[in-house]
Order: sequence, then structure tokens, then C-alpha cells
Amino acid sequence: MSSLTIFNQLEISHYIYLSTVLFSIGLFGVLFRRNAIILLMCIELMLNAVNLLFVAFSSYMGDSDGQIFVFFIMVVAAAEAAVGLAILVLVYRNTRKTDVSVLDNLKG
Amino acid sequence: MIAFFITFFGAVVLLFIGLNKRESSFSIFAAGILFLSAFLCVASKFGWCNFGILESWVPANMMQFSPEQLLFMGLLSFLTGFIILSFRDSDIIGNDQLALMMFSLCGAYMMVCYQHIVVLFLGIEVLSIPLYVLAGSKKDNIYSNEAALKYFLMGAFSTGIFLLGSAFIYGGTGSLELELMGIKPSFMHAIEGMPIPVLINAGIILMGVGLLFKVAAVPFHFWAPDVYQGSPNRTTVFMATVVKISAFIALYRLLNTFVGIKSNWSGWLSILATITILWGNLAAMIQQNVKRTLAYSSIAHAGYLLIFILIADGTNAWILWFYGLAYGIASILVFSISHQLYNTNKDDTFEAFNGLAKSSPIVAIALVIGVLSLAGIPISAGFVGKFYLFSFAWQSDPMLVCTGLVGSALGVAYYFKFIKHAFLKVGEKSPVIKDRGILIFLVLIILMAGVFPWILLRTFF
Repeated sequence: MSSLTIFNQLEISHYIYLSTVLFSIGLFGVLFRRNAIILLMCIELMLNAVNLLFVAFSSYMGDSDGQIFVFFIMVVAAAEAAVGLAILVLVYRNTRKTDVSVLDNLKG
Repeated sequence: MIAFFITFFGAVVLLFIGLNKRESSFSIFAAGILFLSAFLCVASKFGWCNFGILESWVPANMMQFSPEQLLFMGLLSFLTGFIILSFRDSDIIGNDQLALMMFSLCGAYMMVCYQHIVVLFLGIEVLSIPLYVLAGSKKDNIYSNEAALKYFLMGAFSTGIFLLGSAFIYGGTGSLELELMGIKPSFMHAIEGMPIPVLINAGIILMGVGLLFKVAAVPFHFWAPDVYQGSPNRTTVFMATVVKISAFIALYRLLNTFVGIKSNWSGWLSILATITILWGNLAAMIQQNVKRTLAYSSIAHAGYLLIFILIADGTNAWILWFYGLAYGIASILVFSISHQLYNTNKDDTFEAFNGLAKSSPIVAIALVIGVLSLAGIPISAGFVGKFYLFSFAWQSDPMLVCTGLVGSALGVAYYFKFIKHAFLKVGEKSPVIKDRGILIFLVLIILMAGVFPWILLRTFF
């Protein structure tokens, strides 16, 4: 009983803080990690933080647009991950590494 | 809407009949489809033909096909047709490349005529995902792989930022429709002393940043020179013209929605415009590689177009249209000449231009006109575009116009490098230039739009 009342006390601002924190974890992961697969996972984390925020706003305002948007984001994230992993395989074939530090051939 | 159908089904047909074949007739077929769709856009703008049945399939709160949007779609389709025509002998096998470019163009159309943020998001992704593939389409080339991975990571990252912004806007304004989004903040702005919620301000900034990544404005430009250099030439010119122009149209329509609270976002945008113009031009001066120079030049042009975003009031979209036409045609011209020289010399520094005036004077003159148009020297279309832009911006923001003029003056320094190498240096090899007809046609467009701009603008606007 007491564990359920916690959910009644949650306000929309809690969801905003939670998803901003999740988004920032993903953002800093993209900026500071060096392994390309971990970068992909961090980008997924950013997108899912946004999904959480959309669903929270959508249910808070009683408007279904946000929930529909989440489906689109999930579909596009899957397509993007497919292309991204294919590019990663291509890079791995040529360099035998999945580390983004190999990306320093192009300089000006 | 007809442009979507023709481009999409044309691309599907091309994908099936041309898979893994390489004949230039397919390029002509693809370019024909794109010119047809450009023509039909213009025709439905003038009311010569009516595609209301197709347009009624799309809910009016999702996409809108006003005359302005039709002209922008026509412009993008026209530019892509020229890109495909002038890179007919591209060194990449397979006509699936052409089909991917046309799918990507469908995304650009969506970014032009969106009325709902979902459509804008899908447009950005439909534009980007084929481009990740196209950037890496030289499979064995390590530079192309690197460009693809960099473009992918930056693209996905900027999508995340854009989406967080749109979630904030959704929470702050209660809507994702373009027409409804702007009402609440401008209403709040009208009441004295009522602050705009942080969610809305943060949302505008984040969505703007997501789109500024796509147009490569400083400080979100760091991927651009590498990606432009590593990608195959045809993809590079597509990124520098069609992607950039469509992202600017999207940014213009998005920020024009929030014109009621312009004072909240014009400050940081004008700072970004200033540093983009200066940094783009300064960094271009020290480059030796032609594609990197053109990449920084496109960053500088993004800065000039940011001035347009700041002065846009919903009635002067024709400035963006004309500037996009002038910049796009001149970029295609210069990129296609440097591509053909690269095919002969396998040298992508300025040395490749040596002695061009001796070996093929017509091409050298075409190069000069293209470069002068990019630099904004009179009698070229680029000059007229910049003239309109700066004269409209002068009343509202003279400082920014001065920065733009300084930037243009700096730009002349590196644009003249092309002319210096083509006319004053002696080259060993004489390059083989095919497709003189298209080059001359592009030159004629530049000169016509530069000498008689009002004919073009009176006809269309």
C-alpha cells in the first residue's frame, strides 16, 4: 500500500528531472566514451529519455500526440541503429577496431 | 504532393531496374524524373494543373502545400537533378546510389512542408539515413568509412538533442502542431511581466541546435570538413546544397512560429551567425584541400543564411529561395569541375587546377563564374542573393550586415586561389573534361539570375 502511494505523489517535474538526467548521462557518454558501440548505446539512452518525457507529458496533458511520437522515435531509432551497426562493421573490416580514435585520418 | 509521388516511385523503379548496373542512361532517367517533379511543383503553383486529390490524402495539420513550399520543393528537386546530371561518371558503382539520393530528397520535401513536429522529425531522419549510407559508399576507402561513421554519430547525436527540444516544446506549449505551438508563448509574451516558461525557451534552443548541426553552423560544424572531404564527391555536393537548404527552410519555418518571442532567441542566434561567418571564412583561407575549402565556404554561407533566419518575417522567404538557388548552382558547378579534375589527376589539392586555362579555356571561364558567384562579385547570382539579403537586414541589424561584408571580403582571398591556380600556374597534365554542355548551362543560369534577377522573382513570387 505504502509503495503505491509514492506513485501518486510523483509530479510532472519529477519526470522532467529524471529524463533530463538520463539524457545528460547519454550525452556525456557520447562526448567522453571512445568505443563506437558504447556511443550507439548512449545515443539510444538519449532517445529513450526523450521517449519517457513524451509519454509523461502526454499522459499529464491527456493528449495522444506525444505517445504517437514515441512510436515514431522507436521505429526511427531501430532503422538508425541498423544503418549505424552496418557502418561500424564496414569500419571494423578495414581497421580491425571499433574505437573511435581510429577516426583521425581526415585532417586539415 | 505530386513531387513526393514522382520522386519516391521513380526511386523505387530505379532501384529495381538499375541494381548493380552502371550506365549513364540511368542517371539521365533519374534526372528526368527530378526535373519532371520540379516542373510539376511549379505548374501546380501556377495552377496549370491540380493535384488536390493527392494532397487531400494528407491531413492538413501534418503537411501543407502552399505556393511558397511548392517553389522550395521545386528548387530542391531541380538542384538534385543537376547534381545527378553533372556527376554522371561518378566513381561509385550501382544505381542504388541514385535511388538513395532520391529517397533522401523525399525527406528534404518533408522538411520543407511540415506542419507537425512528427513530420519534421521523420523528414530529418528520412533525409539523413540514406546519407549515412551514401557517405560510406566507397566501401574499401578508409576515408569514406570514417566520414560515414562521423556523420552517423553526429547525425544521431543531433537528432537526440532535437527530440529533447521538441519534448520540451510539447510540454511547454501543449501541442506539436506548428500553428498551435506559437500561440501560447506569444500570448504570454504579450502580458506584461509574465515570464516565458523555461521549458519553452530551452525547447527552442535545443531544437535550433539540432537543426544547426545539420546546416553546420559554428560551433556545431566540426564534423563538416571531415565528412565533406571523406564522402564521395556527389554525396558531398548533395550535403552542401540540398541538405543545407532544406535544413534552413525547416529552421526558418520553426523559428518563424515563435516570432512572437523573437527577443528570446534572436540574441544567441545572431552571435552564432557572427562567429559562423568569421570562422568559416578564416578557416577556409588556410586549407590546401579543395573539398575542405569548399566545406568551410559552405559553413560561411550557412552564416549568411542565419542572417536571413534573423530577419525572416513570413513574407520574405523569396530571399532564401534566391540565395539557395544561387549558392546551390554555383556549388554544383565548382564541385563538378573539381571532381572531373580529380578524376584526371588524382590530386585533391589546388594543384589540380594548374594550367586549366590553357588546356580547356571554356571550363576555366565556367570555373571563374562559379567561384565569383560563391564569392558574391557583381553580375553573378551570388552577388544578387547577398545584395537582397544584406539590404533587407540593414534596417534591423547593421552590425550583422557589417560582419557579413567583412566575411565576404575575407572570402575573396580563398576564392581567388581557384582562379590563381587555373590561370597563372602551369600544369603538367591536361585534364579531360566531359559534359561541357551542363557546365555551360549552369553558367547561363548563374549569369541570367545575376543580370536579370527580377525576371526570375517576378515570375515566381
